[in-house]
Formats: sequence, structure tokens, C-alpha cells
Amino acid sequence: MSLPMHLRNYKEKSKDEQTRDFFNVPVWDAVPSPNEEPVTTKPRGVKDGSSSGGLQGMDINAVLSVEGKEEVYAGRLSLLPPFLCFISLDRRSCRCTLPLYTIRRVERLNSRAGVFALSLATWHGMRIILQLTSLLPTAEHFSILLRDALKSQLTSMKSLKPFLPSLYSEYLLTTSSSSAQQQNPDHLLLGTELGEKSGTAAGNDGEGDLRGPGGDGKGSYQRGLGETFGFPGDARKMRERSKMKLWKEYFMIHGRNFTLLRYPPFQRLLQVGLPSRLRGELWEVMSGSIYLRFANPQTYSLLLSNNKGKSSQSTDEIEKDLNRSLPEYKAYQTEEGLARLRRVLVAYSFRNPELGYCQALNIVVAGLLIYMSEDQAFWLLEVLCDRILPGYYSPSMEGTLLDQRVFEALVQRCLPMIKDHFASVDVQLSVASLPWFLSLYINSMPLIFAFRIVDCVLAMGVKVLFQIGLAVLKINGEALLEVTDDGMFISLMRDYFSTIGDSAHPNHPDPRVRAITNFQELLVVAFREFNIITDDTIQAERRRLRAIISDEIEKFSKRAAVRNLKKVGSFDKDEIGSIYDYYFTAVCSPDGGPANGGSGSSSPKFGDQFDQPRLQVDAQGRVETRIDLKTFRVFLSEIATWAREETVTTNAFIQRTERRLADHELIDRLFYSWDTQAQGTLSLQDVVIGLDRVMHAGLMESIEWFFNLHDKDKDGFLTKDEVIQLSESLLFVFRNEPGDIYLAAVSKFILNAYEFGDANSPHPISSPDGVPRGDQESASHVRERSDSTSGPHNLPYLNLATFRMVVLADELLEGFFGHDLAASFQLDKTVDEDYHQAHQKPEGILGGLMNLVVTNENKSRLNRLADGFGAALGKHAEWRKPSLAKTLPSSSSQLSELGTRESLLTPAQQEQRRNRSVSAASQASARSTSSSVGTPESRSLADVEAKYREEQDLVRQAQEAVMHRPNFAIDAIGDSDGEEEEEEGEGGRGADDAVMDEVEAFLKAHGDDDGGLKGEQKKQAEDLLKAEPMGGGVSANNKPGRPSGEGGLIDL
Amino acid sequence: MSNEDGPVKATQVKLVLLGEAAVGKSSLVMRFCSNDFNENTSPTIGAAFLTQKCRLENRIVKFEIWDTAGQERFHSLAPMYYRNAAAAVVVYDITKASSLEKAKAWVKELQRQANPNIVIALVGNKLDLVSDESGASVAPKSKPAAEEPANEAEESETDAEDDATPPPPATTAAAGDDSSDSLRQVSKEEADEYAKEAKLLFFEASAKTGANVSELFTEIAKNIPDETPTKPAAAQGQAGRRNGARQGADSGVDLGERQQGKKGGCC
Ligand SMILES: Nc1nc2c(ncn2[C@@H]2O[C@H](COP(=O)(O)OP(=O)(O)OP(=O)(O)O)[C@@H](O)[C@H]2O)c(=O)[nH]1
Ligand SMILES: [Mg+2]
Repeated sequence: MSLPMHLRNYKEKSKDEQTRDFFNVPVWDAVPSPNEEPVTTKPRGVKDGSSSGGLQGMDINAVLSVEGKEEVYAGRLSLLPPFLCFISLDRRSCRCTLPLYTIRRVERLNSRAGVFALSLATWHGMRIILQLTSLLPTAEHFSILLRDALKSQLTSMKSLKPFLPSLYSEYLLTTSSSSAQQQNPDHLLLGTELGEKSGTAAGNDGEGDLRGPGGDGKGSYQRGLGETFGFPGDARKMRERSKMKLWKEYFMIHGRNFTLLRYPPFQRLLQVGLPSRLRGELWEVMSGSIYLRFANPQTYSLLLSNNKGKSSQSTDEIEKDLNRSLPEYKAYQTEEGLARLRRVLVAYSFRNPELGYCQALNIVVAGLLIYMSEDQAFWLLEVLCDRILPGYYSPSMEGTLLDQRVFEALVQRCLPMIKDHFASVDVQLSVASLPWFLSLYINSMPLIFAFRIVDCVLAMGVKVLFQIGLAVLKINGEALLEVTDDGMFISLMRDYFSTIGDSAHPNHPDPRVRAITNFQELLVVAFREFNIITDDTIQAERRRLRAIISDEIEKFSKRAAVRNLKKVGSFDKDEIGSIYDYYFTAVCSPDGGPANGGSGSSSPKFGDQFDQPRLQVDAQGRVETRIDLKTFRVFLSEIATWAREETVTTNAFIQRTERRLADHELIDRLFYSWDTQAQGTLSLQDVVIGLDRVMHAGLMESIEWFFNLHDKDKDGFLTKDEVIQLSESLLFVFRNEPGDIYLAAVSKFILNAYEFGDANSPHPISSPDGVPRGDQESASHVRERSDSTSGPHNLPYLNLATFRMVVLADELLEGFFGHDLAASFQLDKTVDEDYHQAHQKPEGILGGLMNLVVTNENKSRLNRLADGFGAALGKHAEWRKPSLAKTLPSSSSQLSELGTRESLLTPAQQEQRRNRSVSAASQASARSTSSSVGTPESRSLADVEAKYREEQDLVRQAQEAVMHRPNFAIDAIGDSDGEEEEEEGEGGRGADDAVMDEVEAFLKAHGDDDGGLKGEQKKQAEDLLKAEPMGGGVSANNKPGRPSGEGGLIDL
Repeated sequence: MSNEDGPVKATQVKLVLLGEAAVGKSSLVMRFCSNDFNENTSPTIGAAFLTQKCRLENRIVKFEIWDTAGQERFHSLAPMYYRNAAAAVVVYDITKASSLEKAKAWVKELQRQANPNIVIALVGNKLDLVSDESGASVAPKSKPAAEEPANEAEESETDAEDDATPPPPATTAAAGDDSSDSLRQVSKEEADEYAKEAKLLFFEASAKTGANVSELFTEIAKNIPDETPTKPAAAQGQAGRRNGARQGADSGVDLGERQQGKKGGCC
């Protein structure tokens, strides 16, 4: 059983993280410089955006242009060390993510007054001009930060050269064009369908020609299974050669791989489908996984070698699915293909043991491996799981569930007729749409089309999945309105996808229109009519719906956990439910958390840097949530009154009760006695059984239970030491009881125990000096004396019968074991039914204010504020709540009396150095008395006022944040001019033209405006291209004769 | 009542398959629906949907089959598929002891959370792996499901009880085949006993050979009340029928926003 506690730790991404995500830039921790010690565990920990290796990031307005290109774009430049990113104002025409280690040289240009411009020379020889259009001091500050960040990347730059040959684009641009030209007409017949390729060298060459240069051991680029087993689809029909040519041209002008700029043609080339040979590389470039692969060159192989031969639940599950992953593709009928698939999935399951393995990943990875090497696919998988499809494959699949709900909401907004109809016939969208999202449509439609969707998802993000889904529904709208049950819906979708390669207009007289496939139509509808679905739309919907989903998951896993308990003792369903709630709350509490590591030999070693709760993998490799002692203390403090310290504070305004954990050996004893399998951790089942024994015990059972708890060697006898420990336990439970009757009872107990013990002891007692005389003798004195004489104190001394007799001799103790002990465990608290919805940040201005008060930090601030007032007014007071009195209906008069009463146990306990907890507790109570006097804690009214102002500032900030939330712009559905039918090319033209026709169709669909600058601004940018450097500048490759290094950098 | 409408009218029965990953749920469905077997199927993502008719003496039952994903993390989706189900097939793999444990958990969940009248069948699959002839003797291979004679299922049930003594089914050649029989991890008796206790239909079957597959579905069909009140002829009164059926059903992690509200109304 694993609990979905990560849901409670969920934090919305900060602005900085969102920017990093947008540019596909990994968090700093994920990009160690390549000469750092390789780490295989996943970097998590500090989710603090500012953690960027001490380097500061910055945003600035800028205008970008490239030498040799007409276009000039105004936009936003972001320094996100170690990356420099740009996005044009319209957020689609131009963007780039440049790793700083690919920038060879930066110079400040000598330009017109008031213009601050930088020239960047990239690794691939491109010259980018950036005009920083903010105020001069800002621009200067930016360039200083850029300089520092650049300097930090000099070592990474050395790794670039050996890395580049792994990329196909490098091979493509360095091979002579002639080899790509030699063409054998026979080869046009080859590579027609998946796996149809002949194994001969000639055949490979032929396909090489069609798909672009390479293949068959040519070039050292990393390659997918497709290079050996054939890529899906007919190379000629897919116009692979033309596409490759267009990409080659694109690369020559706009840079490639690390230095690739996305200009408008990029989008068009992308949407007609990437050429097979280039696909893997473009996937990793577009998604940013290439940065991880570059920065962690050894991780993948280390993961494999470190975990060689290990098995776990994940590896078992992977094994089951290997033969069931795109089995129709030839490579996955061979050992070679299956071995690759196994290695990538297994390596990832060890990298991310919390996620492990989820069905559907086998299909996704099987798809990736056709176009990518293992290392490439591994890192893309990480980016998919972490960033592009967050939470999709986790054990509770909350991301999948959430996005299904988001999808429903979007259908409701965009296609209300369909949604309403589905509501009326009670059909759920997700019965069909869930697999679309989980397997990126790879399992839903023929591979060649599915991969084109994957192209777009990796380039543009998850919104593509939604846009495609909406388009599918819209296109099938009429038929969907006839659907009356889930089954019809599923069949309809299946039929549609199976004909997706067919003509959308088979009977149209115009052959050009007939040539348009259902798939092309789908893309046009998706990207034209649903381009209103933006990243912001999805984020906003996710924010709105997350709490609902989280609550449902928690309730579901609670039901399942409760149902799966093998033994429930005498508890009823509700009681088990509240035990579960306490257990779960403890696991989620900041002091708690599930157990780490543990006994399971197969459990992977978790890095220390994890701040997220971890799951334990048991001996069978199953994932289970168990709690360790630390969390158990939290749990017990919620249930057992004596396992917590409750301080009641009254001040001028309110009365409040604060809880802290108590700490005593007794709690540890309970823990270890419930841990029957000596695992060092407890499961929910252990806790239920343990509680059942103590809460449902009668007098005699209770006595025996308590006796056994202190009989360490289980020989049926307590030693003298254990008798003392047992009395300490009693004193601990009674520590906050008012009056001295409990102390007296314990003292009497010790006396009697020793008296009867001596009489009945199986060992002759040599020196019975440990027996204190007189009722006033405190327990600790007894303890000290018995400690001073060592020998006989470890021998069996008191048996159960004697212990029972001694207990029953005292009415108070009898009452304690007969009733109070069991009653001190209370399961009556009502836990939040809908935790996440109750804790969801309320929206609106009032909500902004509420949010401030709701956070714990502010709550305690407010409390301190109130205490300050209270002290100032002389009305501040604190007292401890007793443990056993808590079980009785408390009379308020009794409680208020307690405040003035001194704890009788205190003096005795303060002498006990051995017992940290009790003395800590008493110190705390001593402190509480002093604070009620008020000197150190009290504040002047001026202090209080300052605090109050601070509070108000926070409120204002929150209000501003609320006002700036982006609007949902679904109403602004663009005009649909229905022109797509005329956008296809003429029949008899060449293949290149046909590709370009498709490209043009997209150009039209997206509007012609590329968002470039015109007129004066453009001219200015052109001037800059001719401008001379001012002298100085950063030069990474230290060309001789150029000023570089510290001195020159300052001029920047 | 439906008898008066004539035998042509099919009773629609929603059936859901549950069980651990890779026990052969999809394969059983494929055998039943298209009388086919494929060594390499894809794991089911979410769920798959198929239909198949089953002819009884006096009526036709049309199964609407939801074949669900077996991996534990898909568990929270299952209620979406078993809500309103009139029948459930809970599958385990007789060569894998843990899969029976999982099956028991499913039965428990169904009995608590699903439609209270649900007909549940427990199926131990992959019978072909433990002995070649027990499957063959019980049922002829590859029989098209639609023209199933009604008596076969009974035969197999009596069979099950006769075999109750020794661990391998009491077929003559069983002793000579211990190499394959050692694969068996769940004895027929153990599962049968559990099925009786929990009031389930029980079969050992093989999707690969087809043994007992059509018997299984026929037996389920027979156990479905003649006129299911939950399935009146399409279109009319759907809302009412669904609400009625949902009583006592588990909400799971509900993927429909709309169901949120409805659920509150009836639970
Ligand atoms: N020998 C044998 N193999 C079987 C039988 N039924 C299924 N299999 C094999 O078991 C594997 C899993 O079968 P599936 O039908 O996909 O299993 P499933 O229960 O649908 O799995 P999930 O969809 O992951 O839950 C496949 O490789 C099948 O070939 C059977 O009766 N005999
Ligand atoms: Mg399946």
C-alpha cells in the first residue's frame, strides 16, 4: 500500500520555474558541469528557483537579429544560467535556448548613442545581434551577469566538441552533398512499409538516399532501432528526401542542435512531420533533454552497471510488458530491440524509484527507441515524466487524472454540445481519451501519424495533446451526438483513427482536395481552431481542478487501504478510517514522513537530497508506505493524550492550544513492540493491530501488556532496572496530572514492587539497599540509588503475577489500567474530508488576504502578535493540559485552576539527566511560567505596530498577485474561414513542392504575420550588423590578439 | 417478459474484466470475441472495449466487455469501468500465486463497491501451461462462442468438483507431465474453495487453447436475470436507469466533472 502523500506536498511552480520550463531549461541541479562527480539519483531537493550555482539570472527587453537574415524580432531575453533564452513578443515567431557553453564570443557593439547591443558568436559560426532595449544601467547589469555566467561555462565548452558527433545534424552538414545525391531508381521501391526493407547493403543504401545520408555504420551519430530495422512508413510517400533537404537548408542559416533558433519556417517544417533520421535529435533538442544528456554523460551507463542483476517490482512489471510493446514493429520481435527497451525502462525505474514503471511507458519508450539511442531516449523519458507530462505515470497517476478532468472542462467550454450530449447519455470522455494522453496517441493511431503528434508535443508542450483531442471530437462531432453509450463512443473513435490516413474528401472532384488526408485535416483543426488553448489555459485549469482530484485520490486510496487490511481487530469501519487519517496525516506532516530505505535488500538506495517523502520497497519489491519512529511519534501524539504536550495560552483576545510532540522511551517501546517483524518501521496494519491490543484490553490484559512492554528479554520477569523504567513510564504518562496523587501512587508502587519482588525473587538479593523509605522519597532518588549498585539489577526480579498484585493494590493504578490507559487513546477527531479543497488557495482579493493568514508561518506570526498585545495588557497566561483529565469531560474551572498550579513532578524529574524528554518537558513548563511574567516576550506597542505594518504589506502583495492572474480567453475563438481545402498543392508537381504546399497550408493556417519588426527598428538592427565591436568582450576560445580575460570583460 | 418479445431480442450485459497485469484478460476477451490468440498483445492502457453475443436456449445475451488495465496504479480508474456492470470476470494466472491474492482483493472490492447484484466469475487462466490435456478434455478447442450449446458449462463445473482431491486435475495423463505441472502455483482446490466461500462462479481456462472460455461466458450469461432492469431498450430513461444502477457503486477517482454533482445526490 502506498499513500499519495506527495499530493500534499505539491507546490505550484514559481515564476522562475515556469520560465525555465517554457524554455526547456533544466533546473540547475540537473546540469552539473561534465567534469563533476556523476550522480545517478535524481536531483530534487531545494525547489528554489534561485538555486543556480550562485549565478544570478535576469530578464531584459531585447531585439534579436541574425547575420544574413532579414527578420528582426523584439522580445524578451532571459539569462537562466547556464542558458540564454529569447522569445519574441508574440511568443511564437522566434525563440531560442542557447546554452552558454555554445557561445564562443560576446562583444559589445560600438553603436549609436543610447543603444546597447551585444554580438554573440555561436559555436556553429552564427552571429546573433542582441540589442538590449532597457535603460542603460539595466542593460549594463545584464551584461555583467551574462559575463559571469559565461565564465562559469568555460569548462563545459571543452566537452562540447567530443559530444557533437553524437548528433545527426553534425553528420548531415559535414558530409559532402554528392553522397546524398547518388540515387538509384530501384531504391524507390524499397522501404515501402514497416519492416519490408530488404537486409542487403544495397537496400540500406537506397533507403539512406531517400531518408538522407547516413545509415549502415556511416557516421558516428547516435541512432535508433530504425536505422537497423527500418523506419515506419514509406520514405518516398513521406517525402523524406525533400524534408531532409529543407532541414539542411534551415540548419545552415538558423543554427543546429544546441544553437538552433526557432524561426517561423521551423514551425512549418515541424508540422509536416520530421524526417526519420533527424527525428531523434530534434526531439531531444526541442524538449531540452539534450542538455541533460550533455551534462550527465555517464549517468545512464552507471545506472545500468550499479543496478545490474537487481530486481524489484518495477523490473518484474517491465519484464511482463517487454513483449507487449509495439510488437508489430520488427525490432521488438528481436532480442536486440527488447534488450534496449528493457535497459531504458529499468535504468529509469532505478533513477526514479518513486515512479518506477507505469504501463504505457513501455509503449512510449518503444516509440522513442525507433528514432533515438538508449541514452537519448532515457533523458527524453526523464523530461517527459518530469516536465512535459508531470504526474502522468506516478503511482497515483494524479497528472493523468487531472489532465483528463482539464480535458473535460475544455470540451465543455469549446464543444458544449458534445459535452452536454455526453452528460445526458452518461458517457465519460476519458474512457476514450485517457489512452490518448497516456501513450501520446502512439497506441491510438497508426505509428507514422502518432509520431507526428509526438513531434508537436515535444516542440510545443502538452497543450498539443489537448488541441488534438478537441479536434478529434470536433471533426467527429455529428456522429458523437448520436452516441448513446461508452461502447459506441469507443468504437467510433477506433474507426476514425483507423481511417486517419484516408482522404478527408474522397468524393471531391478536385484531386487536390481529394489528396487531403483525415490526418492533415486533424492538424489544421487542432492548430487553427484550438490555438486558443495555450499553456496558460492548461495551467489555469489545472490549478482550478487539482484540489478536487487530489481529494478524490486520497479518498480512493483510503478506501482501498482500509479494505485491504487483513485484520481490523474490534475496530469498526469509522475507527479504522480515522486511524488511517491519523497515520496519513503523520506521514504528511513536516515532522513525519514515511520511512526511508529500510530492510528491503532490493530497495534502491535513496539519495539524501530528497526532500520528498519516500516509499519503502519491501522484500518482494513492492512499494509500501511505512512509518519510522520519528513519524510514529507524530502519529501517537495525535492519538494518545500523553504523547503530546498541550499548552493552553490565553491572551487578551483568544485562547488557543498549542501542541508539541512529547518524547519518552515509552513511545519508543510501543513502536518496537508493534514492529513485530523487526523491520524498524510500522505499516498501517501493524499500527491497527497494536492499537487494537491496547485500546480494547480489559484490566488484566492491560496490566500484562504494560508488563510485557517493559520486559525486554521476554523471560516473564522484569529486572530491577525494568521496574524503574516501568515506573518512569507511568510518571511520564502522569506528568501533567494535577495534584500529587499520581506521584504518590507511583512511589507506593515502587515500594511495593521492591518489597514483593524481594520476597518472591528467584534470585537471592544480596543488598536490598535500593528500597527507599517513606512516601516523600521521589522516584528519581530511587532510580539513582538502584543505578549505583549494578549487579543484581539486571537479573530477573519481578514476575507478572507479582506485578499484577502490586498494581491492584492501588486503586488509582487499577483505574489507570482498567480504564484510563485505554481511554487515553482517542480516535474521535474529525479530519478534513476534503483536505485539498479546504486548503486550496481561495481566489479573489479576500482570498489573497486569507491565504496570508492560512499559511502556518503567518498563523504563528499572528499568534505572536496577539501574545504581544496580551502581554502588554497583562493578560497573557499559559498552562499545560493534563493527559488523563483530557479523557474526562473537562470542566473549565478545573482547567483554569491548573494554570497556577505547579507541576509536582518537576523537581524530581529535573535531576534525571538520563531522561531528556521529561526534563525537556519540565523545562518547557518552566519557560512557560516565565513567559507569562512577560519580560522577554512582551513587546512595546511600537513593535506591535511595526509587525502589523509588515502584515499589511504582505496582504497588499497578495492582492496584486491576484489582480495579475491571466484571463482565460476562450471566448476569443478565431475566425474560421474554411480555406484549408484549397491549400494543397497541384497534382503533377515535384515532391519538394508538395512538401512546401503542406508547409504553406500551415503558414496560412497560422496567419502570415511572423511578428517581425518593420521599418525604423528593423533598419536600426541592420545597422548593428555592420557595427564594430567596442573592443574588449568575452572570448571563450581565447583567440590570440584579441583582448580577453578579466580586463576586457569589464567593458562589456 | 422479454420472452414474449421473441428470442431475437438481445439482453445487453455490461461485463468488466479485472485482475493483475499480464494474467491474460485481454487474451481471454480476444479468444471469446474473435476466437483468436496472440502471444504479443499490448498491455491495456486504461481499458479496451469489445462486444460479443452469446446465444442461450431461450435468448441472446449481448456482452459489452470492458477489459481493464491490470497494473496497480491503474486501480483508481477501475470504478469508472465497473460502475453499472452486471457481470465481472476476475482473472488470475494459475502459474502465479500472487495473482490470486490480487484477484481476491478485486472480489472484495466488487462486493463492497459495485452493483450489488453483480455476477462475479473467478477465472484461473493459462491452464495450457500446467497440463496439455486437462484443457482439451474439458472443452473442445476453439469453439465459436456464439453457437454455444448450453450443457458444456455444467459439465466443466461437475468436473471441478470431482477433481477436488489430488492437486493436479484427475486426468489420466497428468502424472506423466510433471515438468509442466510444476508451473502450477495455485491449486484448483484452493481457488475453488475460495470461490464457493465468496459465492463466485469458477473456471480454470486457457485463452491460448480456448479451453473453457466460451463455457465461462455462457455460464455468466445464464446467471444474468432474464430481464435486467438496468438495461431497458436504449435511448429512453437512461438517466433513471443509470442512477438506479449506481446506487452502492464506488465513485473511485471520478473523471467526469458532472458525476461529482450526481454522486452527491444519490450516495
Ligand atoms: N500460455 C498462455 N499464455 C497466455 C494465456 N493468456 C494470455 N497469455 C499470455 O500472457 C501475456 C499477457 O496477456 P494479456 O492478455 O495481454 O494480459 P492482460 O491481463 O490483458 O494484461 P494487462 O492488459 O497488462 O492487464 C501475453 O503474452 C499472452 O500471450 C494463456 O491462456 N496461456
Ligand atoms: Mg490487457
